[in-house]
Order: sequence, then structure tokens, then C-alpha cells
Amino acid sequence: MLIQDIMHHPVVTIQATAPVHEAFAQMHEHTIRHLPVVDAKDTLVGIVTDRDIRYATSALTDKPVARNDAVHTVMSKPPITAGPRDPVEDAARTLRQERIGALPVVEGDALVGIITGTDLLDAVLRLTGLEKPGSRLAVALPDEPGQLAALTARVADEGLDIHSVLSYYEPSEGDKPASHLNVILRIDTMNVRPLAAALREEGFQVRWPLDKPTGT
Amino acid sequence: MSTPPLLFDDAYLSYFFGPEHPFSPVRQRMLCSLLEALPLTAEFTAPPAATRQDVCTVHDAAFVDAVARCSTGDLPANVRDFGLNTADVPTFDDMDAAARALCGGTLHGARLIAQGTADRVLQLGGGLHHAHRRKASGFCVYNDLSMAIRALRDEGMRVAYIDIDVHHGDGVQHIHETDPGVLTLSLHESGRYLFPGTGHVHEIGKGAGEGSTLNIPLEPFTEDDSYLETFERVVPFAIERYAPDVLVVQCGADAHFSDPLADLLLTTHAYDAMFTQLLDLAEAHTEGRALFTLGGGYQPDATVRIWTLLAHHVLEAERPTDLPADWLDRWSDEGEAALTPTLHDEPRTFDIERRDSIEAQNRQVSKRALERIAPLWY
Ligand SMILES: [Zn+2]
Repeated sequence: MLIQDIMHHPVVTIQATAPVHEAFAQMHEHTIRHLPVVDAKDTLVGIVTDRDIRYATSALTDKPVARNDAVHTVMSKPPITAGPRDPVEDAARTLRQERIGALPVVEGDALVGIITGTDLLDAVLRLTGLEKPGSRLAVALPDEPGQLAALTARVADEGLDIHSVLSYYEPSEGDKPASHLNVILRIDTMNVRPLAAALREEGFQVRWPLDKPTGT
Repeated sequence: MSTPPLLFDDAYLSYFFGPEHPFSPVRQRMLCSLLEALPLTAEFTAPPAATRQDVCTVHDAAFVDAVARCSTGDLPANVRDFGLNTADVPTFDDMDAAARALCGGTLHGARLIAQGTADRVLQLGGGLHHAHRRKASGFCVYNDLSMAIRALRDEGMRVAYIDIDVHHGDGVQHIHETDPGVLTLSLHESGRYLFPGTGHVHEIGKGAGEGSTLNIPLEPFTEDDSYLETFERVVPFAIERYAPDVLVVQCGADAHFSDPLADLLLTTHAYDAMFTQLLDLAEAHTEGRALFTLGGGYQPDATVRIWTLLAHHVLEAERPTDLPADWLDRWSDEGEAALTPTLHDEPRTFDIERRDSIEAQNRQVSKRALERIAPLWY
């Protein structure tokens, strides 16, 4: 999944020479917290957040900025940016490392979009297949070639459609011998237990669904 | 008011995806034959099927056209985009007519209530809460509940929809999520574990409907006590605050411990308690107006007993202890294994390791759901 698949565009921007109160009004009007700042040629020169403005204009700071001062006096520069064809995980890493909430997306000199932490959370939901109704099937696979293929082939044999595949390694721990690949499939059916039972019978380590306690 | 009508038509039984499919009309055949075998004063009414126009109050014309084409075996190329011809919703001859028959019952119930002809209605079918505007899903072709809710809204009534099926009532929620005149309240096994995957507490409605969607996702292996504690904390409070004119209740029976599709562990006793409370809430807040439908429930033995309990509550009839021997014989002969001879389950205990944490999590979730939504109600 690439940044261009989930970014917002067109982007609301503000001129570097515009007064601070105008930037604040723009954020309020569009219910956004990050505003890329551009010069007369529409080239990106910085970014300003609602927090920057609140902080800079607060009476508690040494030299508060006035409402008619220019936006470039409060913006962060140079802005940290991303490219439209970078993978979304790169954007996540940058947001975390830099402790920021949004990245303007730039192609050449042109500002083509913006991506925020919320967009990345939406991307996680899409990556986990939660946009479509489905059931969860979690299987721990031995870390060997062909295991995932064998699992998905079994799902296909049942005529079921896979909405998404999510996987992560579980390293070997203590006396457990082998590391595993935990695979979580979202499958297009309400009735996933017959498949889970068949997989168990064939030796797959199915972690969800579990058998229900029958009670006494 | 006279005896509450029970709605049923033989055409309901034609909603049939094939012998291997869990959503089986055998459940209704067993249920109707049991209600007839018991000493109940019941009035069965055969409702008319919903028209195409009725269906289009909820569904896109393009989707309805696709269903109609599937009914004659003429599958459109993009049929799967409509959720049709899938593992859960295979196509069959006359599926459009069969689905309209079920919807007609629920819609008829709504109209009887809107006209003031009946207060309390039990529709012995329907509850197809996974059907979306332009997509079939989870055994549901058309959304009978939403058609009924629309009909009640057209008469200016405020509707509280309560969904006790073990699956999240996603179709109904999405269809009405922007309407402040419809509260949708779904208790279900958490979407982290169970189909369809939605029904999180943060889904609270959209636009003008913000605050009129309420979701209570419960942990797998939740038992009677914790479920009822949650129900009692959330449902009466929500109904009292929302002040609806009518309740529409989807009574899926698939939260039962024996259900093969889901992971909650309710017994018939929990359903008994819920049905009592739902009728009390209708008496207290909607002058008794309540429309009950069936829903999921894939263990016929438990499902039929739970819906029989429901019918007794709706009709205010005394509940029998034992089921009629000839009824048990008949359905054993037809291959239903190990039928329970009593209306209720025997008391049952489950060996659950994490019981404390399940109960704590359910408490936490109901608290969080109310905290999110209550500020929007003042
Ligand atoms: Zn269900």
C-alpha cells in the first residue's frame, strides 16, 4: 500500500505571508490540525499546526505572536515530507521518529497531498480486511517454505474468498523449539468453523476459532 | 388489544440455500409445528410479500435487479460485487420472491403497529440484519428489519432497534446510521473474533444520527450472568433516554452455548430473562408497541426452544416444562439428533479459565459505550 493510495488531496494550504488568525480560521473551517505553508509560487516552505498557533499566541509565552503576524513566523521549517510512491510503513516510521502528526506529500516541487496519523490508522483497518464483512481464521505456521501456500490453497478448495492476509513472526521462546509465522486471514464467510476443524484434522495449528467449551 | 398476531406464511420456507447451508427453514417448520402442538391460543396470520417498491425503500435498484436476475439463473457478470453467488449467499431459483416473502412479514408487522391494529407482533421469520443497501451478506439477501423501520419512520414514529443476535447487526446499523429517529443497539460477540468484524463501541452513528448507534461487543465465552449484567446496564438506560415510540427486536438465537457459528455461552435462561425485560420495557416506554423477529440460530434444538420461549412471552402464555412427546418423536424421526425434551436447558456449568477477565472486559466495554454516547443525549 502506497502513500498515494491513502493520502488526502487536494490539500488545503496557507500563504506564508497570510496572518496567523487566517490560518487558525482555515483549520477551524476544515476541521484539520495541520496546514502546509506555501510561498507565492505555491512551493511548500513549511507546516503549521493548531498547537504551534496556540503556543505562539499564548499570553504565557515570552513574546506572544499577534493575530496579524505572518504565518511564516510560527511555522516549522523545513517541513518533513514524504513521496507519493513511498510505502505507508515508511510514513508511519517517520511520524513516530519525528514525533509529528502529519506529512505533506511532495512530488518534485509540487505539493500533491497530505497524510496524517488518522489516515494511517484507516490504512491499518484496510490492511486487516475490516472494510468487508468476514470471519477471522488465525493459524500458526511452521517457518518453512510452502506453508502459507498450503494454507491458502485449502481455503480456496472450500470455495472461500480471502479478504486479507496479515502475518507476523513469533520467535521461539524458552523450550518451544521452532519460531512460527502467525497468519491471520479474514475470510468471506460467517461459517468458518468447518474449515477450522478440517485444518486442525490435517495438522494445522489453528489458533482461532477455538473449540467451544461444552459444559456439564 | 386482542391476541398478538404471529406472522407466518409457507412461502417463508422457500428461502432455502440448499441442504448444506446453516440458515435452514427446518428451524421454522420445527418451530411452527411445536407451537401448534402446545396448548397455546395463537393466531397465525399470513402476510403479503413485500413488493419491489417496498424493497426499494431500503435497497438500490441495481442490487434488486441483480437479485431478480439471479432468481432466474441469469447471473450478471459482477454478481459477486453484490455479495451474491458467494459461499454465504448462494443464488437459487426464485430467491427474489422468497426474500420478499420474508420481508413482507416484517413489514406487515410494522404496518399493523403503525395503524394501531396491534401493539405486539411476532414475525416467525426474517431478522436479516446483515443485508446492506447494495450488497447481500451473511445469509441475508434483503433487509426486512430496515424495511419495517422505514415504514414506522414514515408514520413519524421514533424507533429503537434492539439486536440480540450474536453477530453485529451491521446492515441495519449502516442503513439508519444518519437518522436520529432510529436508535440501533446491538449486543454481539466482538468483531475482533466474529463475523462481520464491525460493531465496535466507537461506531456511534454519523452526521445527524451521531449518538443513535450503540454497540456492545462482548468477549468470546461470555456466560449468562455477565451477558445479563451488561444487558441490564445498557438496554433499559438506552430505551429510557431515547424515548422511542416502538421497539423492533431481532431475536437471533445464535448466542446459545450450543451454536456452531459463534462463541458465546448463553443458556435458555438468559433468553427468558431478556424477553421478560424487553416486554417490560415496551410496557413502560412504548405503550407496549414491539415488533419481534427471528434471526440467526444454527443449532435447531436450541434455536427452536428459544423462539418457543419468545412466543410464550409475546402471547403471555404459561411456559410448559416439557415438550410434547409426539413432537419430539416426529423430529427425531426426521433426523434431528438429541433433542432436549424440556423447554429450558438443564443448569450447566462451563470450565472457563479466564472467566474473571471476560467479565471485567464486558463491564469495561459497556461502561465505555455509555460514556461515549451519553453526552450526546443531553
Ligand atoms: Zn447471527
